[in-house]
Amino acid sequence: MVDLKVQIAPGVVLKNPVLTASGTFGYGREYAPYFDISKLGAIISKGLSLQPKTGNPGVRITETACGMLNAIGLENIGVERFLADELPILQELRATVIVNIFGNNQDEYAALAAKLDGVAGIAALEINISCPNVKAGGIQFGTDPRAAAKLVAAVRKKTSSPLITKLSPNVSDIVAVAKAVEEAGSDSLSLINTLLGMAVDLDRKRPVLGNVTGGLSGPAIKPIALCMVYQVARAVSIPVIGIGGIVSVRDALEFLLAGATAIEVGTASFINPRTAGEIVTGIENYLDDKGYNRVTDFIGSLAI
Amino acid sequence: MYLFNTEVIYKQKLSQDIYRLRLRATKDFCRAAAPGKFVMLGTDDSFFDPLLRRPFGICRWGENWFEVIIKVVGKGSCQLSGLEKGASVAVHGPLGNGYPKDELESEQKSLFLVAGGMGIASIASHLFSALDCNQSLTGTFLLYGAASYSELILLDELTAASALGLKMQTITDDGSCGCQGLVTQLLTNELQKHPQSQVFACGPEPMLRSVQKILQKAECDGFLSLENRMACGFGVCLGCVQTVLSKNSETGVEMAKVCTQGPVFPAQQVVF
Ligand SMILES: Cc1cc2nc3c(=O)[nH]c(=O)nc-3n(C[C@H](O)[C@H](O)[C@H](O)COP(=O)(O)OP(=O)(O)OC[C@H]3O[C@@H](n4cnc5c(N)ncnc54)[C@H](O)[C@@H]3O)c2cc1C
Ligand SMILES: Cc1cc2nc3c(=O)[nH]c(=O)nc-3n(C[C@H](O)[C@H](O)[C@H](O)COP(=O)(O)O)c2cc1C
Ligand code: FES
Repeated sequence: MVDLKVQIAPGVVLKNPVLTASGTFGYGREYAPYFDISKLGAIISKGLSLQPKTGNPGVRITETACGMLNAIGLENIGVERFLADELPILQELRATVIVNIFGNNQDEYAALAAKLDGVAGIAALEINISCPNVKAGGIQFGTDPRAAAKLVAAVRKKTSSPLITKLSPNVSDIVAVAKAVEEAGSDSLSLINTLLGMAVDLDRKRPVLGNVTGGLSGPAIKPIALCMVYQVARAVSIPVIGIGGIVSVRDALEFLLAGATAIEVGTASFINPRTAGEIVTGIENYLDDKGYNRVTDFIGSLAI
Repeated sequence: MYLFNTEVIYKQKLSQDIYRLRLRATKDFCRAAAPGKFVMLGTDDSFFDPLLRRPFGICRWGENWFEVIIKVVGKGSCQLSGLEKGASVAVHGPLGNGYPKDELESEQKSLFLVAGGMGIASIASHLFSALDCNQSLTGTFLLYGAASYSELILLDELTAASALGLKMQTITDDGSCGCQGLVTQLLTNELQKHPQSQVFACGPEPMLRSVQKILQKAECDGFLSLENRMACGFGVCLGCVQTVLSKNSETGVEMAKVCTQGPVFPAQQVVF
């Protein structure tokens, strides 16, 4: 049987390279009725902030060609309630947990990181510097390599937890941002977050989304995500986690081939809640069939 | 809830652009079905186009089947309603809270079921469940409005429910069947004759807003079944939220997930 273990950050070895993307897996327990979530490499929580957040008003989602736009606005229950109510359930379910965090400013990111530092049952933090749906809280850090590096360095100071920085595709040079946050002390990178997009209701002469613009996810963004993962993985020496439009085993394997050490399943979990679990089994079967001993031999083996 | 692939066992055209599909299901699924609950449906070989599954009310069910009624409004409903007998369908459900049951058991009150347009699919689930269990519908009134006669569906079956005591009135925007006007006018009139009634309503948002006002004025209890856009249907995407009054929140309101906390809400709780 193929060894699926991957190391996504110093000291963080996951049983397999399949994770779930923040904001698409609830707080985790919602999926427990559908499959054993302890089978996953890790689950990544909905983005958490210091205080609870109500999110955006009006229509929040709409489907577009082979994708969807969302403008949830980072609605979440806040870090306190997560620690009190959700984390214990996840531990009971034996899930490996990575917490996704965001703040309105650098101090809030740092305070959150400090709060989560050393909390038992949290394997790593994923810093969201890339949400396109809120005015403050991510994207202003994610689009400028210097701002991104400064933020990561500030968070780094406050925590000994392994740090994954989640990058935005809404930039002209994602490699520059990737290198900057690597230098600032990020242990790994995850990409991509959603692409800024918009839908118009012709009949009503209005934007479809209450927030006017939203984040595009789903199969529509896969080629862009693959390309960025490929470019970034070649340019940095820390692990890269690939995200964007993964709906099948083949999609996941393509990202690994392009250089991703692990992948996150996003929108696909809305359609079939069992997708991430099925991808774990699928990767195992595929690599067994092809005679691999270790998934790490497959990762990055794209012939160019 | 259950997640499975199944097949169409029967299909019927109900009007120009409305279809009924009967799908095979397990006994467990059927036991979990209840009026007002829904399923997320997808064609299982869709290659993710359309991407997301679509929500439809469980309109009727038996031991090992259930039915949905689908109006064609876009890509997803077009593809699903185009399926023929034997075609496979991916099902996730039953989802949602459904209409409150105990409200029905208080026999003193009259029950008004108010349906606008495709809201009938949700509302009719009550009547079918009564028909299939041979329950009395005495004291139950159906007020059913649609744009025109051709959009009024299920009339034969609804008429059958009158043998169990159901009283029914129809109304159309263009007067092509029943009186001319809006279903909310019927409700206003009836609540004057029957104060202290219970009301369940499903239909387009403007109609539900109007029902809410009528109920408030008549000091009547009622429940509204909402149809917000959904991506997941089981509480994880936060895409379907509706602002509702909440005692637990400092601001007095909260964002409720229509798919799991609803789709049926106490009428006065909804903040449109
Ligand atoms: C709980 C619930 C129960 C439902 N039950 C039924 C039912 O029994 N029968 C039935 O025919 N329909 C029902 N609907 C509505 C049905 O889900 C939508 O019509 C369907 O998803 C549209 O998909 P589409 O791909 O055909 O349209 P799309 O291409 O997605 O959209 C076509 C048009 O419809 C609008 N639209 C899409 N979804 C909604 C929505 N949820 N609310 C308002 N406007 C929308 C879009 O803005 C667009 O103008 C229900 C919805 C919910 C949430
Ligand atoms: C409804 C929704 C909510 C999301 N919320 C978050 C979030 O809170 N934090 C975050 O970092 N990313 C969030 N994302 C982005 C996803 O984690 C992921 O990066 C993106 O959807 C691309 O992957 P996909 O195409 O597989 O969905 C969200 C995406 C969706 C669709
Ligand atoms: S549809 Fe996803 S939370 Fe309700």
